[in-house]
Amino acid sequence: MEEVKIGVYVCWCGTNIAKMVDVEEVAKEIGKYPNVVIARDYKYMCSDPGQELIINDIKKLGLNRVVVSACSPRIHELTFRKALEKAGLNPYLFEMANIREQDSWVHTDRVEATRKAKDLVRAALHKVLFHEPLSERTVEINPATLVIGGGIAGMSAALEIAGAGKKVYLVEKMESLGGMMARLDLTFPGLESARDNLQLTVARVMKDPNIEVYTNTVIRDIFGYVGNFECIISPNFKEDISLQFGNVVVATGLKTFDPSVIPEYKYGQLPDIYTSHEFEGMLTSGRIVRKDGRPPENVAIIHCVGSRNRNYHEYCSRVCCMTALKYANQLRSALPEANIFEIYADMRAMGKGCEELYSLSSRRKIMFLMFDQQGPLPVIRKAGSRDKCDYLITLQEKLSGQDIEVPADMVILMVGTEAREDAKEVAHQVGISMCGNAFFIEKHPKLDPVATTTNGVYIVGSCQGPKDIPDSISQARAAAARILGTIAQGSVTVEVTTANVNEELCCGCQTCIKVCPYTAISFKEEEKVSFVNEILCKGCGTCGSACPTGAITCRHFTDRQLINQIEGLMRMDVEPELKEV
Amino acid sequence: MEFQPKIIAFLCNWCSYTGADLAGTSRIKYAPNIRVIRVMCSGRVDPTFVLKSFTEGADGVLICGCHPGDCHYHEGNYKCLRRYHLLVKYIEQMGIRPERLRLEWVSASEGKIFAEIVNEMVQTVKALGPSEVKTVVETLT
Repeated sequence: MEEVKIGVYVCWCGTNIAKMVDVEEVAKEIGKYPNVVIARDYKYMCSDPGQELIINDIKKLGLNRVVVSACSPRIHELTFRKALEKAGLNPYLFEMANIREQDSWVHTDRVEATRKAKDLVRAALHKVLFHEPLSERTVEINPATLVIGGGIAGMSAALEIAGAGKKVYLVEKMESLGGMMARLDLTFPGLESARDNLQLTVARVMKDPNIEVYTNTVIRDIFGYVGNFECIISPNFKEDISLQFGNVVVATGLKTFDPSVIPEYKYGQLPDIYTSHEFEGMLTSGRIVRKDGRPPENVAIIHCVGSRNRNYHEYCSRVCCMTALKYANQLRSALPEANIFEIYADMRAMGKGCEELYSLSSRRKIMFLMFDQQGPLPVIRKAGSRDKCDYLITLQEKLSGQDIEVPADMVILMVGTEAREDAKEVAHQVGISMCGNAFFIEKHPKLDPVATTTNGVYIVGSCQGPKDIPDSISQARAAAARILGTIAQGSVTVEVTTANVNEELCCGCQTCIKVCPYTAISFKEEEKVSFVNEILCKGCGTCGSACPTGAITCRHFTDRQLINQIEGLMRMDVEPELKEV
Repeated sequence: MEFQPKIIAFLCNWCSYTGADLAGTSRIKYAPNIRVIRVMCSGRVDPTFVLKSFTEGADGVLICGCHPGDCHYHEGNYKCLRRYHLLVKYIEQMGIRPERLRLEWVSASEGKIFAEIVNEMVQTVKALGPSEVKTVVETLT
């Protein structure tokens, strides 16, 4: 058997790791172990020179195993696997020890953190000894795409993919396309008609021969894997149809916050208090009037309703400030004599043309009043018979430091946005995760913002977090580009860390078949043994833990590898066992 | 010197390992006694791994998986839960205090909760003292 030669690389990550972990000491200690041919520490292992270091060592020293001790494998495992591949070594003969996210960043005692780093690297060393070369498998890509959600994001993705001549199934729950944008009158900051822009898009979608639109349709079930998905839909809640496709774009959007839970604003209790979305409807109809038909003389617009507040949502809903300025401008044009109050917490005017809209608004006789979002909220109450208005809003004005009363005949609550109630259901169907606020989680917050941890599933628009129209469209097109890329390749590499059955050891008890969530295991009647369909297997390893005879190997997480990893964690001494491998 | 236990934690890749990473990116501090082993799913945690950890001298074993209903592989965490209940009984019969084995659900967004669980468990295990297994081994050798 070939002698095992391991290279160990301990990353400083600048000061991120080196500040709390004595990286030189870790490398020195690990260098003492048998089979470790080289142990180095380096400032940034993920940098090009860092990777070159590994590649050169593999070539010069004939390394056949590599351990990198750095950040989380979720960040850079792939980077280093690629480096191994470049050097001609199988990428799976590699293991990472996470000494940043799970060590240097969470501990305060350098001695303890260094001790922990040594344990983790030693464990990785023990595990990598038993790693086996695995060859990547590829599957063909079905060139069709499923887009879930017919809002502006979903439609943009569909158009882009269809424009390249590929089939798209666009599924929308509601009766018509358009989503949230269909409820808007004008868009900020340019105050253009939302409807004009939307209708153009809808018309293009309806005319495109490559897009099959299913409105009033829910998705019953999605199964399969990247390149080969299948789903069951029931258009108009009638008979079921099955669709086949290779990629999925999730563009399910968001919903608005219900302000009736905020007692201070008395929404639903007093007549002329509207959510921004109700007011939008008023603008579309062209009549800004109170319930009794009279136009308001005083209009107050309250910002951050349900947003940026620990009691409701901590995050910023992103579009409300600019929408509020849009309203103020529309109100000023429609009611030249009315008093308009913007009651805001902080004005968020980032983005092209937005600060300019703010500046324009401030020149149109609009009163800006600030309240402290951390302090008590403004309180709306019914005005007395002698007041010349319907309501009075009391607030602590932050800039003047005074308690003031604002007259209002109409109040617009700038409601925040939140994940839809069915987000969890969608997440389950396509196998993606949600963050604490129930928005879907992208694969990497910076480097991979539209992909997800499930291959072939992309998230675009507001289902990933509050977003305006241009950003939603950018994301949609980014996802389309990613999908067209995989379609152009024709095939995609799939999970190689699957399970397989050693037929010699299999006793035919079929326990594995019962625990497999993917029905990937079947029973060969003649041989009386289990068999894993590796295309269906996703590598969870549950069957491996249930197998009573040890016949099932979960590749890359084998019993032997994990048991050795445990030993590596617990045994401080230099292991003579290592030499025998 | 205060007893510093060593606790082995098996974390599922999709929820709990990501949650532990989030504790890191959020710079939430917790006790350094935990040593993490990443598995793809809590369903992969073979009872042998838990017993092996105890025989190797771990003072505690923590298993973390996705919340019920949120498993990346649909139901691996339920399989883990069933094995956990059996394991607790088993280790108790072996003379290991059942509090040394713990199963918790930690989602990808629960970095803070992960840190709290670790701290709590370290406290519990510190109070229990070194693992009964170690005492037996020391007596025998």
